[in-house]
Amino acid sequence: MPDEKFKILLVDDHPLVREWLASLINQQPDLVVCGEAESAQEALGYLGTMSPDLAIVDLSLKEGSGLELIKTMRVAHPAVAIIVLSMHDEKHYAERAIRAGARGYVMKRETTKKIIAAISQVRSGKLGVSEEVAALFAERFVDNHPRSRTPVEELSDRELEVFRLLGQGMDTRSVATNLHISIKTVQAYCARIKDKLDLANATELLREAVRWSESGVY
Amino acid sequence: MTWPESRSREGTMLITSAMVALIGLGDYLISWQISLSVIYVYPIAIAAWYVGPRFAYVLSILTVVLFTAGDLASDIPYTSWLIAVWNAIVRLVFYAVLIHMLDYIRSLTVGLETRVLERTTDLRKEIAERERLERELLEVGARERRRLGYDLHDGLGQHLTGTALAVQVLREKLARRGAPEAVEAARAVDLIEDGIALSRKLAKGLQPVEMHAGGLMQALQEFAGATTELFKISCRFECEAPILFSDASTADHLYYIAREAAGNAIKHGKARNVIISLDVRDEGSLLTVRDDGIGIPHSVPKNGGMGLTIMTQRAKLIGASFDIRAIPKGGTLVSCSLPQSPSIVEPSHADRKQDPHYA
Repeated sequence: MPDEKFKILLVDDHPLVREWLASLINQQPDLVVCGEAESAQEALGYLGTMSPDLAIVDLSLKEGSGLELIKTMRVAHPAVAIIVLSMHDEKHYAERAIRAGARGYVMKRETTKKIIAAISQVRSGKLGVSEEVAALFAERFVDNHPRSRTPVEELSDRELEVFRLLGQGMDTRSVATNLHISIKTVQAYCARIKDKLDLANATELLREAVRWSESGVY
Repeated sequence: MTWPESRSREGTMLITSAMVALIGLGDYLISWQISLSVIYVYPIAIAAWYVGPRFAYVLSILTVVLFTAGDLASDIPYTSWLIAVWNAIVRLVFYAVLIHMLDYIRSLTVGLETRVLERTTDLRKEIAERERLERELLEVGARERRRLGYDLHDGLGQHLTGTALAVQVLREKLARRGAPEAVEAARAVDLIEDGIALSRKLAKGLQPVEMHAGGLMQALQEFAGATTELFKISCRFECEAPILFSDASTADHLYYIAREAAGNAIKHGKARNVIISLDVRDEGSLLTVRDDGIGIPHSVPKNGGMGLTIMTQRAKLIGASFDIRAIPKGGTLVSCSLPQSPSIVEPSHADRKQDPHYA
């Protein structure tokens, strides 16, 4: 019953990875690679004609960013599930990928052991991520520090404004210019936001701001 | 012999001629028994030095003519006219020797001055060239490290991923056939994956500052953590509010300045606490590394070790000012201040797009 095989589109700019990933997938009895693309443009073309069930997308592509491709796909082809396969550490990128609309994240160095499992997890409607990432996500939902953790909603209007601009990729100076306030004032706001959201340092503050900004809450 | 250098050639010629005429007149008026021939030396010497030997010869001939004419005119009782001629020749020879010597000394002095000037210019050029090379060296180093890091992470890493997949395909085929070699193939996959992990680690070492705007903050944070663990001291990174550097090279240099300073504090300063801080001010950005060690000698020699030179050079390269000083109560403060703001980063992560292996 070849028609009932789960169709997969590979989007990766590295030919060797595409070639052998396809071999590995095709070797599975119920999976088949229906197409390979090396750029976002090419991938979008295939999506229209091949109607795959799943796309495995590398974050760095020949042209265009994988993350942008994922966002576009969520709108144009919502039925196609996406697994991200990347050289980058899941600690830094898995959450961004999932927020952008991917259903799974596999690091390339773990491809052989994780990719097939991730495909079947996603196929059965679950998130295809490592246990570490799953634990990280769970931690975000479970409030470990009930007294100190404050939701973003509790920020004052001005603090929220600063937080939002940071999330858009501005830094202290740009925020100061944008809001017509002094750098010292922005720093004071940052200190209060860090306190309220229980963030250890400016790096975490920036990460949290970007995360919040990308989740599109505001 | 003092003579204003600024006086023009023609002016000098005129004045010296006038002097000769004046002395000649005096000579004529004073008794013939007193010879004024020595006094003529002054205008002739000036003419030789400031105008040139040819004019000086003309002037000395004029002198001798005037002198002799004066003598003859005042009816000097020479026993023979030959004596007057002899006297004139003696004077002429005397002046000629003087002019020749002065000219010789002058050409030596001028030659020396020219040579000193040439050498100084050469030296300046050499110094500028050396500084340029030092800068180039740092830049090339950074560029090469970035390229190598990228090649390792993206090139080799991807290649090894493909290889691991290939062997995995083989392993599954062997396993399906029930071949015992499947175990060995699995081992090979593990080895290749260890290789990927190793290449990642090497890439990280080569390129500690990740190529995105927040990379410097992240790298310094990680460095502080790693230093605390490795040296069993307290190394903290302080940064009040996010500072972004969209220029990878600036971020890189600041990172290495901080690293060098912290390294010095621990190795030479025997510090127990090191605080690296990154601060944004109205005037610009400021990186400081403070420690509570034994401090540095009061006067840091200009070539106080390679590390200091390189830190200074790095600061110069990114247009920052660099300063290292002892803290009165003990310890050292290294500061590097970047005058203009780190380049404004456009919203919506425009910086990310420059990152070749972003994500």
